[in-house]
Amino acid sequence: MSFLHVKLGLKVEKETVSLTSNEEEYYMSNGISRRTFLMGAAAAGVAIAAGTYFSWNGKNIPEEVKKGDVTYDVLVIGSGGAGMRAALAAAENKGLKVAVMTKLQPTRSASTMAQGGMNGVTKVTDKEDSVESHMFDTIKGGDYLCDQDAVEYFAENAGKNIYEMDYMGFPYNRQKDGCFHQRKMGGHAHARASYFEDRAGHAMVHTLFEQCLNHGIDFISECIMLEISMNGDNLNGVIAMDMRSGNILGIPAKTIIIATGGYGRAYWVRTSNPYSSTGDGIVAGMNVGIPFKDPEMVQFHPTGLSANGVLLSESSRAEGAILVNKNGERFMAKYAPEKKELATRDIVARAIATEIEEGRGIGEGIRAGVYMDFRPIPPERIRERLGQVWELSKRFAGVDITKEPVPISPTCHYSMGGLEMADFHTGASRVKGIYVAGECSCVSVHGANRLGANSLSEVLVFGHTAGDGAAAFAKSNNYAGSQDKLAEDCSRWKDTFEEVTNRRRTVGKTVPEIRDAMVNTMWFKAGVFRDEQHLTEASKELEALEKEYSHCYVGDNSHVFNTAFYQYIELGNLLQISHAIVQGALARKESRGGHSRRDYPKRDDKNFLKHTLIFKDKKTGKYRAEYKDVVITKYQPKERKY
Amino acid sequence: MDMNLKIHRFVEGKKWVQDYKLTVKTGMTVLEALTEVKEKQDPTLSFTCSCRSSICGACAVRVNGNAELSCEVLVETLMKRYKTDTLVIEPLGNFKVIRDLVVDWDPKYATIKKIKPVIEPKKEFSLETGCKQSPEEFNKFKKYAKCILCGSCVSECNKSALNQEDFLSPFVFVKAERLVADSRNRSPQEQLKAIVEAGLWRCFNCQECTAKCPKGLDPAGAIEKLKESTFAHKLDDNVGARHAKAIYDDISDSGTLDESKLNIKSEGLIMAALRAPMAVRLMRTGKMNPMNGHPVNPEIETIRKIVKNAEAASKEAE
Repeated sequence: MSFLHVKLGLKVEKETVSLTSNEEEYYMSNGISRRTFLMGAAAAGVAIAAGTYFSWNGKNIPEEVKKGDVTYDVLVIGSGGAGMRAALAAAENKGLKVAVMTKLQPTRSASTMAQGGMNGVTKVTDKEDSVESHMFDTIKGGDYLCDQDAVEYFAENAGKNIYEMDYMGFPYNRQKDGCFHQRKMGGHAHARASYFEDRAGHAMVHTLFEQCLNHGIDFISECIMLEISMNGDNLNGVIAMDMRSGNILGIPAKTIIIATGGYGRAYWVRTSNPYSSTGDGIVAGMNVGIPFKDPEMVQFHPTGLSANGVLLSESSRAEGAILVNKNGERFMAKYAPEKKELATRDIVARAIATEIEEGRGIGEGIRAGVYMDFRPIPPERIRERLGQVWELSKRFAGVDITKEPVPISPTCHYSMGGLEMADFHTGASRVKGIYVAGECSCVSVHGANRLGANSLSEVLVFGHTAGDGAAAFAKSNNYAGSQDKLAEDCSRWKDTFEEVTNRRRTVGKTVPEIRDAMVNTMWFKAGVFRDEQHLTEASKELEALEKEYSHCYVGDNSHVFNTAFYQYIELGNLLQISHAIVQGALARKESRGGHSRRDYPKRDDKNFLKHTLIFKDKKTGKYRAEYKDVVITKYQPKERKY
Repeated sequence: MDMNLKIHRFVEGKKWVQDYKLTVKTGMTVLEALTEVKEKQDPTLSFTCSCRSSICGACAVRVNGNAELSCEVLVETLMKRYKTDTLVIEPLGNFKVIRDLVVDWDPKYATIKKIKPVIEPKKEFSLETGCKQSPEEFNKFKKYAKCILCGSCVSECNKSALNQEDFLSPFVFVKAERLVADSRNRSPQEQLKAIVEAGLWRCFNCQECTAKCPKGLDPAGAIEKLKESTFAHKLDDNVGARHAKAIYDDISDSGTLDESKLNIKSEGLIMAALRAPMAVRLMRTGKMNPMNGHPVNPEIETIRKIVKNAEAASKEAE
């Protein structure tokens, strides 16, 4: 049942072992010629990808993967909250081979950055809370674009997952009776977010990671997914590049769970997301026929630092910081006369964007913003309650907020859209064997706007569900993929790597140059405000950028940890994501939640109480929009007022 | 303001130091400086990063000999601290280097497994109903739950530099203390045993880890706490613990260390006998004289008072 790098993996392994004794040689791995070509079939008689194999120095990949001796029952792509929760659930089924693959190391994900907490009805702090209330808050917050049956399932299961995490060792802040404490987040009627200080995501990811280590779950680290390999309707597995060796891996799997996170980096510096949020899994999923659901639904947080998009917490405004334009005018009164700075995220973000557009902002281009002035707050209170905000402003903008205002502007914060989850009871996508979970998926629980602390609970609930779902499928189905095809796809990527990384400087723009152009298009034409004309321009500009991308300059042809190639792959993914955002935004001729059309400023339930599904045609590469009705069960759409 | 970066490069077996020149901007972190080099000057420079807000732990490097989270520390701050316009950037110490500033984490993850890195909840708790814990009990371990696995603590760890095979990285001790001190845990006995075996008593106590931790978690303090716990759980029958007890006894009894017996008390007669050549050398230089009676410090009463106060203070701290 072996295949691919089969025997050659073994051979290479033997040669490298002798080198490890000396550190210097360990690195150098001279025992292997850089261009050892191993052609043809291996002794086992299965097809082998022709190509170059390099010494495997690390233990970032299990031996059996290197040798091609394993077919995973469940292969999870992504090691954030959703991925690791899914892996743990799947691994409860003894006898199943489960692994988590990540392009980084397991704890470097976007989940780690989440601060607020995870929602779930447990009534430990607020006896009045109920599943119905959580459900309603989520639906209203999502501007009625949520599938209500899925939200009900979510709200029913979120509490359970909080207790489970307690049992796994999550360090919850406690209340007097010994239960974890829950706090109330924006848009919620009750206190239902359990947390660890302001680092709930960090605590969650580390707790799950420790559980995974203890359960002996395989990690395939520092491997970037390049493609999902299919043979007709059957899943072959995943094609990935091992960053350490540059080897292209074909990993056969009966099921995969895509849990690769969001796509905020389409707005590059104007996002609070990590560098890794490049929508890799969404693109791989689209390319095998899974639609990208509601891609236009992007949440913009109003107060990111103008300098680099890093978030200044919502508590800044809650404590009394005000927003001021270039002329020293406190402008929020024009947009929200009563609530002013305390209006919802989307309203404040739009107000700031309007000020900048109309020439009352400070700074220029992608870093233009307005001032957030903390001086109405006594300095001792800033030190006491806004320590992190003070520190971030000081560090990145060089501003002491007790003395001066700091430049801020909206920043992309969350991706509501994602790969369509076709069945929320199992996490299955519409392609057999492929499951989705977390920010890269669209269930849809968050609809057009996600509420605070709902993302970590989504990650737990649907990570768990997808892990169970994939495991059940793996148990009742045999591997139906083609390892020949998998090897073929590997071979193709090997050629791509050689071609791309050996281009000369003169061929075209660099990866960062194209990325910066993409960001200008996305931020100014498909950002906080959108309209027909700008979106059409954006679509054309992206097409032009894709052409440039096809012959761009990467500038590094090493096979060892080639981060230049890695960024090239990520940019390719971001360009496709950007296309989908623009197509989705063009198709949705209304304003709802995070999507704001200047030419259609009202919500239009008659025509658009439905999801956008963006497909990429496998043959032509063209994008096509379809629609799918929103599932309404208990709550009829009403105007959203806070 | 201009600056020079001297970056330690390592690509496919070749090692060199490469110079880059940059203009310092307001708020420019070391990570931004590296990014600017990669994007504008040299796409082959490799390093890892993710969150750029000091929580994911991906971007720690060594700057002018000391571990730093590169996304957090400003170039300007370091130039002032070291009074220079040249910063030397290297990969973290005590890690194998994969390429340039990218290091190999696998051996470190493997050592986390050694300590069974999860709690085993008490019998009265369950998956369905969770656990109970008072805020005071939570406070005992919460600090140690904040480790971001950036590796700064191990970079300048002197014990790790000597030998990592018989020791855990300082952050693993932080994780261990977080589990041992968690009241939800049925018994930390197994974990403590594993920790002692994995090298608890081999720490040099040099405090480099505590000085380098960007989150202020005090790994050296965690190691001390774990040592205390081994006494509470009767896991004190080992060289390190006996050595600590022998020192304690000597200080309480006489106010001075009795070098001639310390070794025998710690390692036992047979092991100590193997160290006879060392003893002979000590005797020759006059550092140890078994013929003389062990002297008593004239300030013995004051010393006993200090010991007593220290004991009272540590009880109170609990």
